[in-house]
Amino acid sequence: MTTPTRPTLSRRDFLRFGGALATTSLLAACTPQENTSAPQTDGQTQTPFNEPPQAPVNIEAPLAAIVLNRLAFGPRPGDVETFNALGATDEARLQAYLQQQLNPETLDDSEFEARYAQAGFETLHKSLEELYADHVANNPYDTNDDAYWDWYYKPAYELVDATFLRAVYSKKQLAETLADFWHNHFNIYLGQDDGVPLIVSYNRDALRANFFGNFRQLLEAVATHPAMLYYLNQNNSSDAGPNENFARELFELHTLGAENYLGVRDPNTVEKDANGIAVGYVDNDVYEAARCLTGWRVDDDLGEWEDGVEKTGRFIYYKPWHDRFNKLVLGKYIPADQEDQRDGRDVLDLLADHPGTARFIARKLCRRFISDTPPDSVTQAVANAFTENRNAPDQLKRVYETLFNSPEFRQTFGQKIKRPLEAAISMMRALNSEFIRAPSGIPWMIGLMGQPLFERRSPDGYPDIKEYWANSMSLLFRWNFAVGLSENWLDDEEQNRTVRTDLFSQTPAELRTAEALADFWIPRLLNQPVSNADREALIKVLAQEYAPSETLSEEHVRYALPAMIETLLMSPSFQWK
Amino acid sequence: MEIKVNIPKPILSRRQFLQGCSSAIAAMAGARLTNLAFAKESDATDTLVVVFLRGGWDALNVVPPIDGDDRGFYEKARPNLKITDLLPLNEQFGLHPALAPLQGLYQDGKLGVVHAVGLNHDTRSHFDAQEYIELGTPGSKSITSGWITRHLQEVGASSILPAIATNGAPSSLLNFVPTVNLNNPEDFSQWGNDLIASQQAALRQLYQGESLLHRAGTRTLDALKIVSPLVEKEYQPSNGAAYNEDELGQQLKTIAQMIKLDAGLKVAAVDFGGWDTHEYETDGNGGYIADLLGQLANGLSNFYLDLDAGYTEKLSVVVISEFGRRLVQNESYGTDHGHGSVMLALGGNVNGGQVYGAFPGLHNDQLYDHADLAITTDYRSVLGELLAKRLGNSNLENVFPGFSGGYAPLGLFR
Repeated sequence: MTTPTRPTLSRRDFLRFGGALATTSLLAACTPQENTSAPQTDGQTQTPFNEPPQAPVNIEAPLAAIVLNRLAFGPRPGDVETFNALGATDEARLQAYLQQQLNPETLDDSEFEARYAQAGFETLHKSLEELYADHVANNPYDTNDDAYWDWYYKPAYELVDATFLRAVYSKKQLAETLADFWHNHFNIYLGQDDGVPLIVSYNRDALRANFFGNFRQLLEAVATHPAMLYYLNQNNSSDAGPNENFARELFELHTLGAENYLGVRDPNTVEKDANGIAVGYVDNDVYEAARCLTGWRVDDDLGEWEDGVEKTGRFIYYKPWHDRFNKLVLGKYIPADQEDQRDGRDVLDLLADHPGTARFIARKLCRRFISDTPPDSVTQAVANAFTENRNAPDQLKRVYETLFNSPEFRQTFGQKIKRPLEAAISMMRALNSEFIRAPSGIPWMIGLMGQPLFERRSPDGYPDIKEYWANSMSLLFRWNFAVGLSENWLDDEEQNRTVRTDLFSQTPAELRTAEALADFWIPRLLNQPVSNADREALIKVLAQEYAPSETLSEEHVRYALPAMIETLLMSPSFQWK
Repeated sequence: MEIKVNIPKPILSRRQFLQGCSSAIAAMAGARLTNLAFAKESDATDTLVVVFLRGGWDALNVVPPIDGDDRGFYEKARPNLKITDLLPLNEQFGLHPALAPLQGLYQDGKLGVVHAVGLNHDTRSHFDAQEYIELGTPGSKSITSGWITRHLQEVGASSILPAIATNGAPSSLLNFVPTVNLNNPEDFSQWGNDLIASQQAALRQLYQGESLLHRAGTRTLDALKIVSPLVEKEYQPSNGAAYNEDELGQQLKTIAQMIKLDAGLKVAAVDFGGWDTHEYETDGNGGYIADLLGQLANGLSNFYLDLDAGYTEKLSVVVISEFGRRLVQNESYGTDHGHGSVMLALGGNVNGGQVYGAFPGLHNDQLYDHADLAITTDYRSVLGELLAKRLGNSNLENVFPGFSGGYAPLGLFR
């Protein structure tokens, strides 16, 4: 590990802010290599107003760049070479990479594991019951005392730190991108009213333990996890008055999706498939499902007044709260007095087996990994894989394989931009930044970009389309993050946490002209060429008053190289996915 | 069952970060920026401020019936959640006492209330309802622009700062690229050392292009020029207005600053979330929803006071939520997703001091789906009247496709 000395910057040195913009001396216009043919349409019409139409972005990129920006949080130094060494052809490389990433237990992850050990997390090893006992039921402090809340939030904040650590350093990158995908899909909120320490267990025991497995099992692990039961008020839902919050989001966000919602309608008027199952859902299905789920709650009788309830923090089926009478969900009759949990499990079975769920999950995965508007061809293929493997223990692995092996996966680079979390992590990976416990500046800045980790308050998860992220505040803090990282300005002195980026040790000493330095760093960070005009603009940042081919002093390189590298990270080319 | 208390959660705040982070960034956050002059613009139309309350606010606890049969139905349906000691608006309705800071504005005729208003579509989904309202196309999410986008494109938006969104990127401004998104001017500054001008010149080149990302980058560089001067000195609100440190107060303070720039701000979109009160909604007249309403009232009243320095005659604020909530309380001492709602309008040219809209009643037979307050006024009638009377846009059909036949203005705006 390198231990660079911190540059001592005077306030004046870095408080020169942007003023006179050189808008009049722009170099000739030239966009990146965009293929403007074959725009992806979504059956939607672009409204022609006084804004010019958006140019579709399709960028020629090597397979390594596509795979490492989509299945991973961007390449670290050496990752492209490692990928290319996996086989003689693109096809062979992709298959070998998928084989590793879909079976992450086979990967040597010792670098990450060493850092994780060094990070000294105190709470992440705890079971659900231990988290509840230590940080909720037996939290040793008074609720009026800040120490109570520090201790209460400690597991969640350790999870935030560990998530950054994994995303930057773990070799199991697909698992990390999937953890992000599934947390957003089954979103819960770090600031929710109850059960915050249990997020650690939710992430590990509900999501990570199941997202390479079977969707039906994943769904039940989520639907019975206390963190989710608290978040969507299922914990207070009884036969005396079912709370429909969880049931509604179970249909709308977790399984069928709003695309299969038919509104407030008589359920008898809904078309049925060959098995008599409704093709979509109406409000009545939500209410009936809420009744089926009554009694699914947390064992959390902190006041010690409920019969048959303890305070373990576990999921329990609490029969006194269950609505025992018959129900009708999606056209299926659910008889009265079924065995414990059977009513709710019938609902989960119906939803997990429904072709609408297959399409909804498939489209969402394709939106994450392929395009904001994925072609129906790939969505349908992935949905078919979902349905065909619905009883397989590795159903979701088969689904991911179908997606990543699709031709669309390789033909659509640039149709997405990185979300803020992806942008920030990919910068730290690209620059080989060094940290153990992320200083608070990292989550704070990702928050200013609009995507604070685990802090999406509503249950829909963060949006996954560029319209939401290509805005001025979000972009500006992407840019500022590049600067903060490269200039080593993100330390947290109060908590004694640092993130260190040493650009010079990564730059061959013999490169001494602006041209040569740019030609080293451009492919290193972008993995694709840039236009001449872009290259010249980048060289100018580094050369300043010197000629591109002039030998620069070491002092000048130390002064100007970070600014050029920052500009590369700020460029559109670094944002494509 | 015990009533749980909502305790503030220590999510990492900007202040905490600035206390904890390196002195370098802390110093930067308060740095002086280079001033850039630009022409002031004048405009005959109002600045529209849309405050969107995400989560579906409980309209029946915001403006509850004060008397008569409906009061009886209300109290019966909400034995634990009913609000008392209302601030009377008329003989029929009162304001939740936490909205006391707005009472004076109502009495002065600056604040109008619309009851039983909303999205007349059969959905109780937050996300669908918000999208339908903000896209302006109930029942369809296929259009690629928001209602405000189409309005600004109709009237033209060539000013230096036509639209800002202070918390995220709302769908009402979908694909309106000139929108500047910022939380507050202090945060909106570019970090760097004395090579920053070179970097910006390079970024101008790198972001030349027609894709959404290219245009957003160029827009960001433009926005920095506009906003930078605001960080020069600490903002001093007029008339002793004292904004809360909360999310809404800070958003409104930012917008007041932007309005006073006279840079042609036409629309500001404000987001204020947390209204999804499925449980423990009240604690008598206090509790969770009272806290939210207190923030709302404090924010709006200080905003109006701050701008009551020559700006309110060209100010129209509307407060909207995706739906109201169920009449009957649930077993968690909360309310589930409902239908009819309340909108507020605030401004120098609002015909305030009245409650608008036909109230359909709270008897079971009068409820939507036998459960929720029915809707008698389409939210687009309120916004349509605003467009026509205050925003210089009579092309209702363009902003709200397919609606012009249902348009029924209430006389809420002058």
